[in-house]
Amino acid sequence: MKINRNIIHYIWPVASVLMTAILLLILIGVDLGSAFSGFFRGMFGNIYQISEVLVKTTPLLLAGLGCSIGFQCGFINLGAEGQLYMGALASSVVAIFLGHLPHLLLIPLMMVCGFLAGGLWALIPGVMKAKFGLSEVIMSLMFNYIAIQFIALAIRTWLKDPEYPFPMSQPFTESAQLPRLVPRTRLHIGFIIAIVLAALVYIFLWKTARGFQIRACGCNPRASFCVGVNVNLNIILSSLLSGGLAGFAGFVEVSGVQHKLMDGISSNYGYLAVMVSLLGSNHPLGVAIAALLLGALDIGGLSMQRSAGVPTSLTTVILGMIVIVFLLRHHFGKKEKEISHE
Amino acid sequence: MQIDMRNIRKTFFGAPVLKGVDFCVHSGEIHALLGENGAGKSTLMNILYGLYKPDDGTITIDGEEVSIEDPRDALSQGIGMVHQHFQLVNTLTVSENITLGLRETGYPFSKRKLIDQRIKELSETFGLDVDPAKLIKGLSVGERQRIEIMKLLYRSAKIFILDEPTAVLSPPEVESFFNVLRELRNAGNGVVIITHKIGEVMQISDRVTVLRDGEGVLQSRLEDTNEHELSKAMIGRTLTQREHEIRSIDVTSPRLVLQDVTIHDGKLSLLQNLSISIAPGEIMGIAGVDGNGQQELAEAIIGIRKLSSGTITFNGNKVDGRSIIDRMNNGMGYIPADRHNDAILLPMNLNQNLLLKKHLDPNYLNHHFLKRKKAESTTKNLIKEFFIKTPSENTAIRYLSGGNQQKFVLARELDSDLQLLIAFQPTRGLDLGATDFIQSQLLDLANRGVSILLISTDLQEIISLSDRIAVLYKGENMGILENDDQLDIALVGAMMGGKRLENQ
Repeated sequence: MKINRNIIHYIWPVASVLMTAILLLILIGVDLGSAFSGFFRGMFGNIYQISEVLVKTTPLLLAGLGCSIGFQCGFINLGAEGQLYMGALASSVVAIFLGHLPHLLLIPLMMVCGFLAGGLWALIPGVMKAKFGLSEVIMSLMFNYIAIQFIALAIRTWLKDPEYPFPMSQPFTESAQLPRLVPRTRLHIGFIIAIVLAALVYIFLWKTARGFQIRACGCNPRASFCVGVNVNLNIILSSLLSGGLAGFAGFVEVSGVQHKLMDGISSNYGYLAVMVSLLGSNHPLGVAIAALLLGALDIGGLSMQRSAGVPTSLTTVILGMIVIVFLLRHHFGKKEKEISHE
Repeated sequence: MQIDMRNIRKTFFGAPVLKGVDFCVHSGEIHALLGENGAGKSTLMNILYGLYKPDDGTITIDGEEVSIEDPRDALSQGIGMVHQHFQLVNTLTVSENITLGLRETGYPFSKRKLIDQRIKELSETFGLDVDPAKLIKGLSVGERQRIEIMKLLYRSAKIFILDEPTAVLSPPEVESFFNVLRELRNAGNGVVIITHKIGEVMQISDRVTVLRDGEGVLQSRLEDTNEHELSKAMIGRTLTQREHEIRSIDVTSPRLVLQDVTIHDGKLSLLQNLSISIAPGEIMGIAGVDGNGQQELAEAIIGIRKLSSGTITFNGNKVDGRSIIDRMNNGMGYIPADRHNDAILLPMNLNQNLLLKKHLDPNYLNHHFLKRKKAESTTKNLIKEFFIKTPSENTAIRYLSGGNQQKFVLARELDSDLQLLIAFQPTRGLDLGATDFIQSQLLDLANRGVSILLISTDLQEIISLSDRIAVLYKGENMGILENDDQLDIALVGAMMGGKRLENQ
C-alpha cells in the first residue's frame, strides 16, 4: 500500500507531463515517432549534441546556484538575467582593453570582474532590502531591464567594433577565450568550473558557520535576529554571492561561447535560473540536475524543430508544465508528510 | 430594549470556550464584561454580533427569541460592535468610511453633502468630534475609534459593544472617550465594554458581569460590589498546586539592575521609568495582563529592542547599547514567549536548532567549519537530560509537541554558563506535565545561583515560583511585593488593573 503510493507519487508527474506533450504533438499534427526520436537524438545522438547540452547547462547551473544562495537566505533574487549581463559586460571590457595580457593572467581577471560586476548589481537591491525593507523581488526584476539596455547601449557606442556595421563588441583575443574541453565542439572549461563551484556552494552553505547563518536567516529571520545573528549582513552577503554567480555565468558565456559582447548573449538563462533553483529545491545537487534537464530540453526542442517541424515553443510549454507539476507534487508531498507525523 | 443571552455554549476544536453563560444588557446602561485573557468575553460578544454561532443557548431581544445570522443581521436588530482592530479603509474619507456598504439615497450617486450634514448633527449630539472630509490615513487611534462608533450611530444601533476600547488610548483620550459613552447611555442606548481593567469598570460602568474560564461567575450592580470582590472573581482560582517555598535571598548586591528604563514608540510609551533589580539566585516575577510592556521589558534586557532612555547594568557593567551576542556571551539567556517566531527554525532538525545558538561558539567551530558530530552529541545529551520526546535528533522540530519544543528551547539556553535567564511565558500552552517539569527546572536553576526574570500572565505561576513580584501596568511598575505568607492576592489583582502600591 505504502510502496504503491510512493510509486504513484513519482509516476503521476512524469505521466502528466508526457501526456501533455503527446497531446500537443497530436494537435500540431506531426508524427509522434519522428518527433520523439528527433527530440532524444537531439540530446544524446552524438558527442556534439551531448556537448551542446552541457554548453547550455553551464550558465544555467551557475546562475541557478546564484539564485539558490539568495533563496536560501530569503533574498528572492529575480535579477539573475541583469546580473549575468553586467558580469558579461565587465568581463568583456577587461577582455577588450587588456586583451594583450597573457592567458593565465587575463582569464582570472575577467572571472573576478565578472563576478564582482554581477555581485555589485545584486548588492543594490540587497542593501535596499536590508536597510530600508524595500522589496527585492520588484527591485531585482527591474534592474534586469536597466542592465540589458545598458549593454545594448554600450555595444552601439563606446564598445562597438568599428569594423562591423552590427551592434557588437570587438572579438576577444585568443588569450581572453576559455579553452575548449573537446575538440570540434563548443564545450569549454567553464563547465568544469561550474561543477566545482556547485561543490563549493554546497560546502559553504552546509558545512560552514556562515553558510548555516545564511540558511537560518532564510528559514526564520526573526528567530535568527533574536539569538544575535546580524540578519541584514547576511542578506547583503547573500545578495553579493547570488549576483556574483550570475555575473560569473555572464563571464562564461562571453569568454567560453560567444567570444564577443552582443545583444541576446543570454537566452533567458537568468530567468530560467529561477526555475532551475526552484526545481532543484535550492540545493546545489538538485540545481545541477535541474540545469542539465533544462539544457537538454532546450537542445532536444531545437532538434525536434529541425527534424519534425515542431515549434520550439512546445519546449516552453513543457517547461511550464514541469514547474507546475513540481510545485503540486511538493505541496501534496508536504501535506502527506505532516499527516503521517501527527 | 433588553437583550438576554441564556446558557450560551461554544466549543472551538473540542475545547469549551463558553460553558453555559448568561448575560443580559438593556438600554440606558453601561455594562462592563470583565475577565482575564481567554475567559471568553470576546467570544460571547462575537456570538451576539453574529460572527459565531452558539452551540447551544438562546438569545432574546425584548422577550422574543431571535437567531442572529451575521453582523448585518445584528445591525438590523440594533446591535453594533467595535472590534479591537479597527476596520477602516485608510485611503477613503471619514464620511465614505461611515457609509461604506450602505445604500444611501441616490445610490450609487450618493449625496455626500446630505450625508456629511447628518454626520455633523450626530457628532454634535454625542460630543463625538469627527471631520467627515478628512482621510483616515492621517488620523490618530482615538479619532479612528470615534469613527467606528459613528459608523454604528449612523446605522442606528441601540446596543454598542466595544472590545477593549481603551487598550489603544492614552489617559486623556480615555477621559473624553468615557464622556462619549455617558452621552450614549443618557440618550437611551445600551453600551457593553469588554475589559480586563477593574479600574475602568469602577469608573464607568453601571453593571458588571465577570467571566472566568468560560463561566459567568458574578453579575452585579456596581454599587453592590467592590474592587476586591471583582479581582477575586476575575482571577479566582485557588492557588494551591505548587507550594511556594519562601527562600531567603541576599538582595544587597544585585546582578541585573534596570534604572529608569523607558521605551517609546512614536507617542506611545511602551515602558515608562521602569526600575527593578534581580539578585543572584533570585526569581523576580513580573505579573501583569498581557500587552502591558512585558515583551518590551524582555527584549530590552536581552538587547532585541533599544532603550529610549535609562540604563541596564549586568554584573556591574553597563550593557545597554551592547549587542545581543555580547550579552548572551556574558551569561544572559532568553526564552521568548513566541517560540515559533523568536526561538526556533521549525523546518530544521534539533541539531540545526542547537546550532542556531551554538554556531558562533568556538567550541563548535573548526576554522569556520561547523563541528556537526559535537552538535549531534550535545543534542543527544540534552534530549536525554530533559526527557524530550522525539524520534531522533534529526527530526524537524516542527513535529515535536509544544511542550517538547519548549523543553528543547530551555535545554539549549541552560547548556551554557548562565547567570541570568529571562523566562517569558515559559509554560504558556503546555500541558500539566511539561509545565511542572519546566517550573522545577527554573527553581533548580535559581537554587544554583542563576537570576531569573519570570515574566508570566499566569498569576498562579508567578506566585508559586517568585521570590519577589513586580506588577506591570501600561509599561509602568505598579510596585514590588515580597512573596511571603502575607502576600495579598487580591492586591496583586488590583495592581494588574492599574492600582499603584502606596509606599513606593
